[in-house]
Amino acid sequence: MTTSLTDRYLAATLRSVPTARREEIADELRASIGDMIDGRTADGLDATTAEREVLTELGNPAQLAARYTDRRLQLIGPEYFLPWRRLLIALVSTIPAIVGVLMAGLEATTADNPAGAIGAGISAAFNVAVQIAFWVTVVFAVLERLGTPLHLPEWTVDQLPDEPVERDVSLTDVCASILFLGLTIAFLPWQQFQTVIGDGDRLPVLDPALWTSWLPALIAVLVASIGLEFAKYRARRWTWPLVGVNALLGLAFAVPAIWLLLTDRLFNPDFVARFAWLRDGGIDTVARISVVVIVAITLWDIADSAMKARRAAR
Amino acid sequence: MGSDDVLRTHLQELRRGTVVVASLVALRRPDYGYALLQRLTGHGFAVDANTLYPLLRRLEEQGLLTSEWNTEESRPRKFYRTSAEGELLLRRLLDDLAAVQTSLTALIEGDPR
Repeated sequence: MTTSLTDRYLAATLRSVPTARREEIADELRASIGDMIDGRTADGLDATTAEREVLTELGNPAQLAARYTDRRLQLIGPEYFLPWRRLLIALVSTIPAIVGVLMAGLEATTADNPAGAIGAGISAAFNVAVQIAFWVTVVFAVLERLGTPLHLPEWTVDQLPDEPVERDVSLTDVCASILFLGLTIAFLPWQQFQTVIGDGDRLPVLDPALWTSWLPALIAVLVASIGLEFAKYRARRWTWPLVGVNALLGLAFAVPAIWLLLTDRLFNPDFVARFAWLRDGGIDTVARISVVVIVAITLWDIADSAMKARRAAR
Repeated sequence: MGSDDVLRTHLQELRRGTVVVASLVALRRPDYGYALLQRLTGHGFAVDANTLYPLLRRLEEQGLLTSEWNTEESRPRKFYRTSAEGELLLRRLLDDLAAVQTSLTALIEGDPR
């Protein structure tokens, strides 16, 4: 009976040792364990306690087996970790977003359920992200175990970033944003007077009633956004207060716009009535796609600014 | 991490390679795993059994040790001995250890070479 613990320990250790070497390791390890037990019983310990102590000292059989076989107890080691992380970040930060937007767009145009479309997009993006993370990790774990060389180019000083991150809000970005905001503001009065709908007739696209309610508010938000661009450029980088104000302005534009779209208050009823395809439900599709696009852009903008602020704070 | 842990980690790092050197020296006289463990411990090389036994196998696979089963006693034991190749490697390791000691002494005495 005194050998049973040792037998079980040997069996547990040798399970993950290649068969070719198993028997010899077993014989040697058994002899060593016997010697260790004898050493302790000679010091006056009883055999059972000595055996327990010896096996405890040898430790987890899986770990001992790994030492015998020179196996690494890690999923992805230092040699593969950085390429793994870089590839994972590159894939997860792009593909799920693209798939999610495509899925949401597809769903929005085929089913009568804008909220469901956003849900479908998010769930598709999440699934794709999980799949990518899983498979990339599996491939790298296999490479780690096979010891496959990656043949990546050696790091050189030429790979250093151009300059220290002194200004990560570039003038080009700020100018593009201001131009876009300016055009959006200009579009609002332009569509009121200049939208030609054939035969030289002109009709506003947006409901003229909004000029006394929501449109001035939305224009105010857009003007404030231009102010934010200037503040951002002066601050040289995204700061947390800027992120907060940006998020507030983004929501201040998106929430009323989405509400107007979903409650059929945004478009001019006369304008819709002039086109058969808009009248026959087309306007709902336009509204839904607009909602999806607005939600996606707003969320992306908020997330992007937060990420940049975090990076700048380091 | 407490200062004890820091000390322990650094001591571990410092001692890691010396177990190989000590084993190669000790096995100029053939011995089996447990007896070697006792001898090393007796000489101040505190090595764990679960480190030493796999290490002996690895050194044998690298040709630095040779082994032979001794079946004369009631318990058959595998005896290891430092091979000619192991002796060559050991000389290099000992030279390097001496070089490290010399450099360190010189550094301590503030005498740049």
